[in-house]
Parts: sequence; structure tokens; C-alpha cells
Amino acid sequence: MAFNFEPAVIVESIPQLLKGAELTIYLTVGGLFFGFILGALFGLMKLSPSWPVRKIAGFYIETIRGTPMLVQAMFLYFGLPMAFGFRLPAMVAGVIIIAVNSGAYIAEIVRGAVQSINTGQMEAGRSIGLNALQTMRYIIWPQAFRRMLPPLGNQFIISLKDTSLLMIIGVGELLRTGDEIVAVNFRAFEVYLACGLIYLTMTMSIAKVLKIVEKRMKIEGR
Amino acid sequence: MISIRNLHKSFGKVEVLRGVNIEVAQGEVVVIVGPSGSGKSTVLRCINKLEEPTSGTILVDNFDIMDKSTDINMVRTEATMVFQHFNLFPHMTVLENVTLGPMKVRGMGRQDAQKIGRSLLAKVGLADKDSNYPDQLSGGQKQRVAIARALALQPKAILFDEPTSALDPELVGEVLEVMKQLAVEGMTMVVVTHEMGFAQEVADRVLFIDEGVVQVDKPPREFFTNPEHPRLKDFLGRVVC
Repeated sequence: MAFNFEPAVIVESIPQLLKGAELTIYLTVGGLFFGFILGALFGLMKLSPSWPVRKIAGFYIETIRGTPMLVQAMFLYFGLPMAFGFRLPAMVAGVIIIAVNSGAYIAEIVRGAVQSINTGQMEAGRSIGLNALQTMRYIIWPQAFRRMLPPLGNQFIISLKDTSLLMIIGVGELLRTGDEIVAVNFRAFEVYLACGLIYLTMTMSIAKVLKIVEKRMKIEGR
Repeated sequence: MISIRNLHKSFGKVEVLRGVNIEVAQGEVVVIVGPSGSGKSTVLRCINKLEEPTSGTILVDNFDIMDKSTDINMVRTEATMVFQHFNLFPHMTVLENVTLGPMKVRGMGRQDAQKIGRSLLAKVGLADKDSNYPDQLSGGQKQRVAIARALALQPKAILFDEPTSALDPELVGEVLEVMKQLAVEGMTMVVVTHEMGFAQEVADRVLFIDEGVVQVDKPPREFFTNPEHPRLKDFLGRVVC
């Protein structure tokens, strides 16, 4: 049986796929928003002088990094309801999974960036009377944040692609939408190709935006 | 103004300071010299509590910095520090570097802080560089900004930790010139340096620290012309040409 490539199928499925892509964007933006907060929090906790605080952050990072996201998603969506008799809406569960997952990786990005700032900066801040928190806020963080941008961009792209795994818990994001179309028209080649192209467009947009941000935040003279 | 009594400091098992005693009066310029690794920078960093003293007493403006109830952030603003490697904030303009302390620590408004900042930059000869970033400046210019930043809090004393050691030789003079001017104006200064000419010309007293204690504490004339202490003789023989 000869294979016939039918570009028309791609065109036809685009409107529906874009609806799925919309959910993909919500999952990514929501997940990364909370993921960045978690990452900043746990990243700084890992640098705490207090041993238990460091350990708590370390436990979170190791546990999340060390288990597959698919397992986490299925545990949260199918496993926990067995114990508690209550299931979160799929979108909420999806955002939580992306947030908790990206948060663990972002924590390491934050820790590395903050540690890379010369100790002389902290000393200079303290020497003019700023307290530790002010020194972090006005001196260390703004410099560290610039160093976070390239690895953050990487993580944003990874998290966007990871949303496709959430099809397993029934979130109608891009890949699941494609799957549903294929179930009806059996045009796996065209539909998954279209899905891939839409993912590529989205990841390239992230890269582009981050490049612009990086350029605008560049320190003069460096 | 600054009173250091029986200061001890150990890093792990290495005892760097073994009972340092220094008194610095208001308006005095005290220069500390000594071989590298003798602990002279550590003394300065203990005054600012950038290093935690192991034992001893340090009074800055009559505040005991070892006392837990002392607000160390407040004490630091009375004895600010100029570092060997400048440690300017690279993401801020020169003027922002100078105004950060007055605004965030002293609670001064932007307008007032900028006014003080501009006049201090003029004082160190950098009035035209206010909107530049640190990385656009030469080493000598950076260190002069750092001095302006330290002055901006209107401290009672300034601590200089080898302020010219990281500079190209031709840039040392412009920094020393600013420091001389401060000394003339009556600023209390503690200066760790290898610049013997500066010590001779500007210091009220010169201290020789070696093996973790103050070995010699004399006015510059006696210090340089009649060094009785054998290790000081040896040290001066090596650094003064």
C-alpha cells in the first residue's frame, strides 16, 4: 500500500491542535511561574547556614530529580485519590506537576548562580551596613539572576515539552489533542508532524524571548 | 575611636592573630605593615566583623562588636571598608554604587543621596563618571569610587585593606592622593598597605605586625629611621629600596 502524504489533513487539524496548544501554554506558564518561586525558595534554602533547612531543600531536589515525571503525575492523579478519596482537576494536577518538577531543577540553577557571585560582593554589601537580606536583594540576586538566564531558558523549553507527558492524566493539551484526531482519521503521520511543528514553534519563541531579555539585561562594560 | 584588646583569631588550627592590641584615636591615621600572611588584613576584617574574632575585645565608637546585642550593621556604617579588589557593584552605575548605602541603610531620599553622591564623586575627581558602570573604569578610578562609596555613609572611620595592591603602578598615585586628602581633613583611617612612602608621609603611627602580634608601634620617623626590632629591620630591608 503506497503512502500518500496529505498536507490538507495538517491544515484541517490545525484549529483543533491550536486549542490544545493553548492548554499547553497555560500549563507551561502556570507551572513555570510556581516552579520559579519554588526554585528560588529551595535554591536559597540550599545555601542556608542552617543544617536542617539545607537538608529539607536537598530532600526535595533529590526526590523530584530522582523519579520520572510520569510516575509523579500518575501518583498524584491516580495514586493519591485512593488514599484521600479526592482527585484534583487534571489541569490543576498538571500545573502542580510542572511546578514541582521544574522547581527542583530551577533550585539547582539558582544555587549555582548565587554561589558563582564573588564573596567580595557580599562583603562589600555588608561593609556599607546592609543586612544579609538587603545584600541578597540589591546586590547578589540581580547579578545572579543574569547568570541564571541561559540555564533557565533551557529549563523552560524542557518544561514546555514535558507538558506532553500530562496527556496520561487526561489533560487535553497539544499531544493529547493530536492523539484524539488520529483516533478518528488515522492520519498519524500528518497529525503528529503538525504537533511537532507547533511544539517547535513554541520552544523557538521561548529561546527568542530569552535572548532578547538577556541582551536587555546585559551590564554595560562587560 | 577604635580599640582592639587581646584579639585572637584562628582559622581551623592555624592561629593567625595571637593577642593584638591597637588603639586608634579620633582623627588618627594608623598604617599597618608587615609580611604577607602576618595577619594584618585579618585585623582589619575583624574590626568590620567580616571575620568573627575567636576571642578578645573590639570597640568601635564605644560599641562592643563582640556583644550580641550590638547592631553590627550600624557599627559597620561607622567604620566602612575599602577593599583590595574594589568590590564595586557591577550592575549599578557609579552613582548608584555610592548612593545605595545612604538610601537603604540611612533611609535617605533619592534626591538627597544623589546630591551627596555627586559631591563625593567630585571630591575623588570622578564627577563626570556618575552614569558609567564600574567595568568601564580603570582600576584607579574604581578604587576612588569605592572610597566615595565608603564615605557616603559619613562614617567616623575608614578601613583600607591594601587599597593599591591590585592596581597598575601608574594608577597607585591617584588613589593615594585621595587618601592623603582625607587624612588632611581629619578622617580617622586604618590602612593596611605596602606603600612605605605613604606611611612615612601621612601616618601618625606605623604598626609592624608579624607572627600575629603588633611587634612595633611608633611614629613614622622613628619607625623608619631607627628600626631596632630585628624582624622589622629585615622587613624594611626587603621592601624599601
